[in-house]
Amino acid sequence: MAATATAAVTAREDAPSSPRAAAALVTPATVFVALVLLIPIAILFRYSLNRFEPGRFMVDALTAANYVRFFTDPYYTDILLRTLRVAVVTTVLCVVMGFPLAYALARTTSRFKNVLVMLVVLPLFVGNAVRAAGWMTAFGSRGFVNATLMGLGITSEPITIMYTEFAVVIGIVAVNLPFMVLTLQSVIEGIERPVEEAALSLGATPAQTFQRVIFPLALPGVLAGTILTFILAMNAYATPVLLGGPRFQMMGPLVYGQFAQQNNWPFGAAISFILMSATLILTVAANLLVQRRYRGER
Amino acid sequence: MSKTIDRRTILKGSAAAFGAAALPLATRETRAQSAGRIVVGTWGGDYANLLRKNVETPFLISRGFDVVQDQAGDSARRAKMMAEARLPRGTSDIQALSAAQMFEMNQAGVLEQIDYSRIPNATNLIPAMRYPYGVGHIYSAKVAVYNPRMMEPPQTFRSVFDPRHGNKLGIIDIQYQFIMLVAALANGGSVSNFEPGKELLMAVKRAGVRIYPTNEAFAQALKTEEVSIGCMWKARVVQWQNAGISIESTAPTEGVPYFVSGFCIPRNAPNKAGGYAYMNAMLERQAQENFAVDMGYNATVTNAVVAPDLHRRIGFTAEEQRRLVDLDYGYLARNDAALKEWWDKVFKG
Repeated sequence: MAATATAAVTAREDAPSSPRAAAALVTPATVFVALVLLIPIAILFRYSLNRFEPGRFMVDALTAANYVRFFTDPYYTDILLRTLRVAVVTTVLCVVMGFPLAYALARTTSRFKNVLVMLVVLPLFVGNAVRAAGWMTAFGSRGFVNATLMGLGITSEPITIMYTEFAVVIGIVAVNLPFMVLTLQSVIEGIERPVEEAALSLGATPAQTFQRVIFPLALPGVLAGTILTFILAMNAYATPVLLGGPRFQMMGPLVYGQFAQQNNWPFGAAISFILMSATLILTVAANLLVQRRYRGER
Repeated sequence: MSKTIDRRTILKGSAAAFGAAALPLATRETRAQSAGRIVVGTWGGDYANLLRKNVETPFLISRGFDVVQDQAGDSARRAKMMAEARLPRGTSDIQALSAAQMFEMNQAGVLEQIDYSRIPNATNLIPAMRYPYGVGHIYSAKVAVYNPRMMEPPQTFRSVFDPRHGNKLGIIDIQYQFIMLVAALANGGSVSNFEPGKELLMAVKRAGVRIYPTNEAFAQALKTEEVSIGCMWKARVVQWQNAGISIESTAPTEGVPYFVSGFCIPRNAPNKAGGYAYMNAMLERQAQENFAVDMGYNATVTNAVVAPDLHRRIGFTAEEQRRLVDLDYGYLARNDAALKEWWDKVFKG
C-alpha cells in the first residue's frame, strides 16, 4: 500500500516534467487555434493586400493601398476614433458602476447570494440583438422614456434618443456590465476581509481603505474586466447598428458593410486588421501600465 | 417467475430499434433519390414561407423533390457564392437575388447562362424578365408614398424631394441605390447618370430629411406620423395598407423604376437540373397568381390572372406602364462602390 502511494506521488512529480506529456496536452488546443483562428487571419491579411475592382471584385496584388486609403481619409479615421471613444467611455462606466455591485456581491453573506449572482448573469441569456430591440422600443419617439418624460411634464415633446451615440453607449454598457461585475466579484472575493478590517482599525476612512487597500488588491480583476469589456465594445456590431442608426458608424458595422454589402473584401480585410491591431495595442498598453502600477503598489 | 434477457433477444431488439429509427431516413433518402435534392438560397421571412407554400410544396415536393432552403440575407449569400466560386461543386442549386445583384454576380463569372429550352413555362415570361443569367420571379416598382391625411398626392419625384417637407420626408438607408436613382430622375438625370440627384439629396439633407435603417423602421415612422412622405415599392404599400397604415401611392411622371426579384443558378451548382425544375415551378400560373395575392408583387408571366381590384392596388395602369423604366445594371455595378461611398460620407456624414 505504501509502495503504491509512493509510486503515485512519484508519477505525479514526474508528470509536469515530461515534455512528451506536456506536448500531448497542449497539442489539441494549439492545432485547434491554428486551424480556426490563425489560418483565417493569415488569409485575411493576404486579402488586405489585394485590389478591389468594381465588377471584378478582388484582384490579386501586393499593395498597401487599402491601408493608405483608410489612414488618409478623415471619414474612416473618424470612425476609428469614434469607436475608441465609445469603447473607452463604456469601459469606464462599466468599472464605475460594476465595482460597487461586485463588491456588494462578493461581501454579502446572504443566503440569496446565488440568486443575486444569477440576476447579474440574467441579461446574458438574451442575445444582443434582442436586447437592442428592447432598447429601441424604450428609446423611440413614443417609447417608454419619452412617454414617461412627457407624462411627468419634464419635456413637452419627444427628445431624440434613438440613433444617437448616447443610445449606443447605454446599449453597450448594458451588454458589458455583467462581464465586468463577474470578473471583479471573483477577484474581490479573494481579498481577505481582515485586510480591510486592519486598515479600518488603524484609522483609515472607508474611502481611504478603498483607495489604499481594496482597489490596489483588486487591480488584476479590474484589468481583466477592463480588457474584456474594452474588446467587446471595440467589436460591437448589433448595438451600434440597431441603436446608432444609419448615420452612426463604428468599426464593426463598417467591416461588415465592406464585406457583405460592397463585396470589397480587400478593404474590408484591411479595416479588420486595423481594428484588430488597435484593440491589441491598447490592450497590451493597458496591461503594461497596470502591471507597473501593481508592482509599484506592492 | 424471473425472466432473463439473453443475447439473441438483445440483438433482435436492437435490430428492430435501429430499423425503426432508420425508416424515416430511408424514406427520405429514397424520395430524394427519386427526383433529387434542390438547395435554394433565399431571404427568410415571408418570402421563404411563400416560396414553400406557393412553389415548393405544390409543384416540387409533391413530385418527389427534396427542397432545402438556405435562408440568409442576399449579401451573406452573395459573399458565399463568391467564396465558393473556385470550388468544383458549390453548396446551392439556385439563388434568389434582385436583378441588379444577379447582374453583378454574372459579371463576377459565378452564374450559369440560362438555357430557356429547359424551362417550358418561360414561354409565358414577360420579355423584360428574361435575363441571360437569371429569370425574373416577381416585380414591383418604386413609387411615391404619402400619408393622405397630411399630404397632397405628389405627382412627381421632384415634389417628393421638396426641401419644404423638412423632416417629414423619410428615406431608407438600405435603398440608397433606388433613392439616388429617383432623385436623379427628379433632377434631369437618368438610369445611366445618378449625378444630378446628388444636388437634390443635399438640399433635403439640409432641410432635415430623416434616414431610417430598414423598410420596417420607415413603416413604423409612417405609422406614428413622424414622417408623411417618401418612396417605396408599390407592393410594400399594399402590405402596409393591410397593416392599417394610412398610406397611398402615386406613379411619378419622371419614370417609375422596376424592382425585379429573380432566381439564378450558380455555375458550380451540384444539381443544375433541380435548379431549372425550380425555375419552371416558380413560373407556374397558379404559383404566380398566389404570389400576387399573398405578397402584392406583380406576376412575371403573361398567363397569370389577377382580380381587377387587386390589380388596381398592386399593378399599373396602361399609362403608368409606359413610365416603367428598367435600370442600367452595368452602370450600377460599375459605380455602386462610388455611389455608396458618396452616400455614406457626404449624404449621411
